[in-house]
Amino acid sequence: MKLELGYIQIKDIQFSKECKVANGTLYVDPDAVKAYLYEDDDVKAWVKDFSFDVAKPGESVRITPVKDVIEPRVKVEGPGGVFPGVISKVETVGSGKTHVLRGMAVVTAGKIVGFQEGIIDMSGPGAEYTPFSKLNNLVVVAEPNEGYQDHKHEYEHAVRIAGLRAATYIGELGRDVTPDETAVFETYGIKEGIEKLPNLPRVAYVHMLQSQGLLHDTYVYGVDAKRSLTTILCPTETMDGAIISGNCVSACDKNTTYHHQNNPVVANLFAAHGKTLNYVCNIITNENVYLADKQRSSDWTSKLCRLLDLDGALVSQEGFGNPDTDLIMNCKKIELQGVKTVIITDEYAGQDGKSQSLADADPLADAVVTGGNANEVIILPKMDKVIGTLDYVDVIAGGHAGSLRPDGTIEAELQVITGATNEMGFNRLSAR
Amino acid sequence: MAAINNPRDFLILTNNPLVPQCMEGRGLFSIRFEPQRSFREILVEARDMVYAGHILYTHPLAGSVKPNETPYKSLIVSLSPHGFDAQHGELMSNAIAVFDKFKPLERELPESVLKDFQLIDYTLLAGAIGFDAQAGLSK
Repeated sequence: MKLELGYIQIKDIQFSKECKVANGTLYVDPDAVKAYLYEDDDVKAWVKDFSFDVAKPGESVRITPVKDVIEPRVKVEGPGGVFPGVISKVETVGSGKTHVLRGMAVVTAGKIVGFQEGIIDMSGPGAEYTPFSKLNNLVVVAEPNEGYQDHKHEYEHAVRIAGLRAATYIGELGRDVTPDETAVFETYGIKEGIEKLPNLPRVAYVHMLQSQGLLHDTYVYGVDAKRSLTTILCPTETMDGAIISGNCVSACDKNTTYHHQNNPVVANLFAAHGKTLNYVCNIITNENVYLADKQRSSDWTSKLCRLLDLDGALVSQEGFGNPDTDLIMNCKKIELQGVKTVIITDEYAGQDGKSQSLADADPLADAVVTGGNANEVIILPKMDKVIGTLDYVDVIAGGHAGSLRPDGTIEAELQVITGATNEMGFNRLSAR
Repeated sequence: MAAINNPRDFLILTNNPLVPQCMEGRGLFSIRFEPQRSFREILVEARDMVYAGHILYTHPLAGSVKPNETPYKSLIVSLSPHGFDAQHGELMSNAIAVFDKFKPLERELPESVLKDFQLIDYTLLAGAIGFDAQAGLSK
């Protein structure tokens, strides 16, 4: 499958009465976007109002609580459309041409549960920990209708859809714009790959998807990943929006939709494809709560690795605790099939960094990449402007009583920052 | 004795009031509601049952909500002992070790936040065994 991505660099976002992309600037009319969001019945039913704001790199701005981050894209050639099975029809994506509005994101924010988390600082020390501080962000803050307390499933769904719709509306503005840069990504069929790259090791990416339940979900072509068996995707399908995030918990190591669209494991495997390895495919598998599901899913993951005659597999996880067990089960069973693994995770090693990092371990997990220690304590300075609300800072993951100090600074664990210890390796800081 | 993986063999250990409220009488499973027990005490009870030969059906650290954040814990063990499973024993003892490494936050949570923690714990439990969480909430 072959996909061409056309990157349109967005250097600025301006509110305007008309919506267009011109000379690297996105002009957007919030009322027009809002009207488009409200065309959806679920959004209409559960969201009282949306407010829009723009946050630019280097500004003294804090966005919180963040739900999702999404890169606007539009399908300009080939089958399918953006976010198949959710926004577009369920047709297979990953081929043809897609335009990408690079350098910007749609960020959804606002309360869903009372411990809602996720901070993006656009400047200061916190900005160094989140990749989203380097983007021009169109922030969509949702406010729930009365009575949403008893309907959190529906409300979370409505805000998720609103974010995807906003990104779809913005992405469409790039349809007729000539990209600044293009890149082509292609993987081969099994036999074709062996014939074309006979001497290169066969490597796949085992992509674990958060799938535990409310606020802990991922959707593949619209299907809740917890209800799916382990299966195979072409890597370009992921790049083309086949996987979206419904995960709102654990800001530092949740994979937002932006992460799925720009998965660095996929990007780096493509960079090595045909040179040092043969990038065979992605294997997607879930992280369910029921132990028999874990057994079945990890059995299937290792079985597929063997069937594909892989030499190596990279395994990334999403989340904390429960997924550590899936990670180790996948790693161990794949290794026992004779396929070498590298696992990508983050750590909860305590504030002093001295505790065991993961909830599970095995001697076969002997090649590990870490995204950092989420328990590390940081101090975030006061920002001049807050988009969203600071109401929850004391009760979010990594926060504690008194986290929000009287002078406006925040003392908390790294966990509070969106994307800080991402387990795909989509991180700002590294020891490389 | 109920067969393994049969809902008749599910014993839900919980300190979350939303679980009996939404699930009692709506399935073949049994519920042991213990509001006096802490998160850690539920883990210890489950560990001891697993050591005594009960099967563990759900992961003790379900959810990305950290164990020092929420006071609520629900998990499922087998109603009958089926023989000791060392892997399950290891999962339980690891979960308690994980709990102990998180620093107590010493914060008082408002009622609305407690209710949200109850909701998350309940929905993850329900999702694990295919129980319709939304139908339970409308009870």
